[in-house]
Amino acid sequence: MIGSFRKKGLVAASAIVAIAGLALAAVPAQAREVGVTATSIKIGTTVPLTGIAGPGYAKVAPAMKAYFDYVNANGGINGRKIEFIIKDDRYLPPVSVEKTNELILKDKVFAIVGALGTANNLAVNSRVRLGSRGVPSLFVNTGFSGFADKKKFPTLFPLFSSYRMEAKIMGQYIKENFAGKKIGLIYQNDDFGADALKGFESAGVKFDVSLPYVSGTQGAATATTWIQKMAAAKVEVVYIFGVTTATAAAVGVAAAAGYKPQWIFGSVGADATTIVGQTTVPVALLNGALSMSFMPDAADTTDEYVKFFREVNTTYNNNATFDNNIMAGMNGAMMVAQALKAAGANPTRKSLIAAIESKGSTWASAGYPPIGFSSTSRVGYTGFWIGKYNLTGSLIPVEAKGTIFTTDSGNGPVVKTTSKRPALPAKGLPN
Amino acid sequence: MLKQKRDKSSKREHNPYRRRLLFFILLGWGLLLLGDRVSELRVYQGALIAIYALAIGSLILLTGYSGQLSLGQGAFMAIGAYAAALTQIYLQPPLIVTFIAAVVVAALFGAIIGGGAARLSGPYLAGTTLALALGLPTLANLFSFLGGETGLYFDVGIAPERFGAEFTLYKWFFWIAALATLIMLFFIQNILKSRYGRAWKAGRSNPAAAQLVGLQVGRRKVLAFTISAGVAGLAGALLGMVSLVAPSTFTLSLSFAIITGAVLAGLTSLTGSILGGLVLVVIPEIAEMVSGNFGESEAVTANFPGLITSLLLILTVLFTPNGPAEQWHHHKEKKKQKALEKAH
Repeated sequence: MIGSFRKKGLVAASAIVAIAGLALAAVPAQAREVGVTATSIKIGTTVPLTGIAGPGYAKVAPAMKAYFDYVNANGGINGRKIEFIIKDDRYLPPVSVEKTNELILKDKVFAIVGALGTANNLAVNSRVRLGSRGVPSLFVNTGFSGFADKKKFPTLFPLFSSYRMEAKIMGQYIKENFAGKKIGLIYQNDDFGADALKGFESAGVKFDVSLPYVSGTQGAATATTWIQKMAAAKVEVVYIFGVTTATAAAVGVAAAAGYKPQWIFGSVGADATTIVGQTTVPVALLNGALSMSFMPDAADTTDEYVKFFREVNTTYNNNATFDNNIMAGMNGAMMVAQALKAAGANPTRKSLIAAIESKGSTWASAGYPPIGFSSTSRVGYTGFWIGKYNLTGSLIPVEAKGTIFTTDSGNGPVVKTTSKRPALPAKGLPN
Repeated sequence: MLKQKRDKSSKREHNPYRRRLLFFILLGWGLLLLGDRVSELRVYQGALIAIYALAIGSLILLTGYSGQLSLGQGAFMAIGAYAAALTQIYLQPPLIVTFIAAVVVAALFGAIIGGGAARLSGPYLAGTTLALALGLPTLANLFSFLGGETGLYFDVGIAPERFGAEFTLYKWFFWIAALATLIMLFFIQNILKSRYGRAWKAGRSNPAAAQLVGLQVGRRKVLAFTISAGVAGLAGALLGMVSLVAPSTFTLSLSFAIITGAVLAGLTSLTGSILGGLVLVVIPEIAEMVSGNFGESEAVTANFPGLITSLLLILTVLFTPNGPAEQWHHHKEKKKQKALEKAH
């Protein structure tokens, strides 16, 4: 018996030694920064391609890829081709954590770009510790104002105007235009919605009916309870501050029930194509609904950026139905390309972050408001323009075109001003 | 009398307790050495393997030994994870206390649910536990202190400084998970080899006969449920540590994955649980490699792991119904028998 045990121990030990030896041989030598080779630079993202928030948002990452493909076809970034890896997280934070671990450990990406979702990005930054490990996370697809906290998120750069700014600007509009009317709010009950609530508070807007919903439950059944409560309370203005699928569900159920309030859609839940695609409502039903954006409307073909993105979409994105999701994807990708270029001939994660801090505020992008990046600020776009949907689902500015409202994510005032957006660079490539 | 029996058994087996302890210490030492020599990805996967192995171990104890089929291990894992996270957020005790809290709270729930479950068997028990796995995690959305769909962070921090700057986040996860799993598996192994383990086996194989010899089958079943839930709770806390304590971490598919792992590992062999954990982590990896050869088709990549798992399950049931570990053991016994016969 002792003999057998010794033999067993020997077998176990030799197996361990063998595995260790194999593993030792498999560790490659590293000269350049992670994810960078002489001919390529690897970046990745986590987005919902499927799942409850998939409709609409699933178009963001392929649009980014289309722009990167366009850049690659035109020589790449400093001679390197961009290799872009897309991971589906189904909008579930634990899956985002898992997929980000994969991107960093298995795919060994240089940086994360355009990761989508407030709760998702919060979870990833806490659990994967992007900050202390120095992994950049560029231009996240969320407007959560908390991401501008450089101390807490040292490697993260938000781009969207924040939900707090949005709530403040629309809050002021509501006070000026809907005084005395009954107003209702539907919002996502997590940090995404909480950010907006803070903005409404600083704007001094009070809602007669306020309905939080849990992310993942925004189907027709839940929407029915919203609409019943809103209709019962005779609410005249309904503001939906949620993801696009929530807006679609509410609009669809309301249309079937014959309830016609003045709609206000939050900027990230307002894509007309997605709303119409998710319901049976005709696009004309959106006529008169209010929303806001920091980019030109996807239907505005007179805009040079829209025109350029539509061309890229035709050639590199299988001519997908062009909408705000594709706009957001390509716009973010354009910022990423400029950041990679500015990071230098031998980019490192540190040089990438330094480049955005020193030059990011001057880069070309479709967004109308100024960008706030500096060595001390991580604030992206700083405002919105307000629009009303027309019969064909285009968002038409309520003020003169180019008029924007800028503000901050604190208690600063809302200022009406005119956009001084940089012109589209030659061929839409970083220069 | 008892002493005499123990003396006898130690003579026969050279004190199996010490042998097991030595084996686990050796295994732990081997893992420790290994952790320093492989890439970060492998270390991260090692942590996952340890966590799955522990969860599978809890199911082997419950189903393989006490004969109660549970489809709801994910629910007990969730309870453990929430217990650990809440303990840490509100009390901030030393790390080990949070893990103990996970075990205790999950075991408590296990005792309550087990009390009812002991009266059920077969498909009825499976149905009850299935409902638990489906329903329980969504409770998080009803109480705001549970963090809703976003969940809670169970943050074990980074490794203490004395481990050095090279000690990565993943190595820290791996150390905690592997250590907890080894200690727990050692503990389970000892229970299974004790009179409790034998009583569970007896109750599983023939409840009437077990009752006739004076075993309280019902009470023993509740005990099995309690211990199993406690172990699953620890596995859940570990998973929460690596991932997130949220409803979507503890889905029905997690419960099913654990059953799959347990069946592949062999429901009656605890040593197989490590193999089961390995299979659960390796299958998606292999699937990715193979589906890469078929091109980047989304439909293939998404469904390939399921296909491999199903195939493995069918093959296991057909050829090694008790799992490869048990089969090997069986094979060895037979060989020994033959050798003995020859010697005579």
